[in-house]
Amino acid sequence: MHAYANPARFLAIARPLTPWLLGLGTALLVVGAWAGLVLVPGDYKQGETARILYVHVPSAWLGMGGWTGLAVAGLVQLVWRHPLAGIAARAIAVPGMLFTALCLATGSIWGKPTWGTWWEWDGRMTSMLILLFLYAGFIALTKGEEGGRQGWALPRGAAVYALVGAVNIPIINRSVVWWNSLHQGPSITMRGSSIDGALLWPLGLTLLGFSLLFGAIVLMRMRRIIADNRVTARLQRMADEEV
Amino acid sequence: MTGVISGGGQWAYVVAAYGLAALLTGAVIWHSWRAMTKAERRSDALRKDRK
Repeated sequence: MHAYANPARFLAIARPLTPWLLGLGTALLVVGAWAGLVLVPGDYKQGETARILYVHVPSAWLGMGGWTGLAVAGLVQLVWRHPLAGIAARAIAVPGMLFTALCLATGSIWGKPTWGTWWEWDGRMTSMLILLFLYAGFIALTKGEEGGRQGWALPRGAAVYALVGAVNIPIINRSVVWWNSLHQGPSITMRGSSIDGALLWPLGLTLLGFSLLFGAIVLMRMRRIIADNRVTARLQRMADEEV
Repeated sequence: MTGVISGGGQWAYVVAAYGLAALLTGAVIWHSWRAMTKAERRSDALRKDRK
């Protein structure tokens, strides 16, 4: 891992990887969405609204996965002071928050025709809303991707905050088991899936497609932060030379 | 079939969910790409000026 601590080495990999992730992610997403909308039949109970699954589940996965990545980056920064950890955490925060918001919005759109309500203060929805607020708090703590005078590294408080916030991830995952909820129980577990195979395969495509696009977004934002920091450092050097 | 809205009326909700997902994902990709290319162009230009 430390071999890639050097931003130049990271860029040598990220530059060719970004268009591949973008292209492959988009292709998988288009095929998965087309299959989810056109090819597969409606659910025998929920009808056509079950098709929202193919965008709702990947959004939830990326919202939660994003925070997990953010917590790992916080830990790496605290323990090893890896220069890319802070950049990665800053780059993850905005898309992670966006996909959490998308999960809440698509869940709400799914809930209205299915449950008769846009929102219910139950364990799953409330813990997901807390995740959205956690992202907003992290962005405020780190001053977003600009970082102000902090440069690349995360403030120590923000790294600890990312680690503490990770407690919410298993709570979201187990919320439908621990508390009564309008939200259905876990459909996909380590023991298998309660969703029929005929409806499941497009989910694999959209999950992978959204994940690759998320990776591309994070790489693009990391590249932007590195470029901005290089500009700041060069301007500073030029100003110092003139003095 | 359960649910308070059934039949063809459900498609409006499906289209809204997919539309929102496409709009937000497209917007964040476009914004990230634009910001990245702009920052890298600026960084490259400054590096060339220094040589």
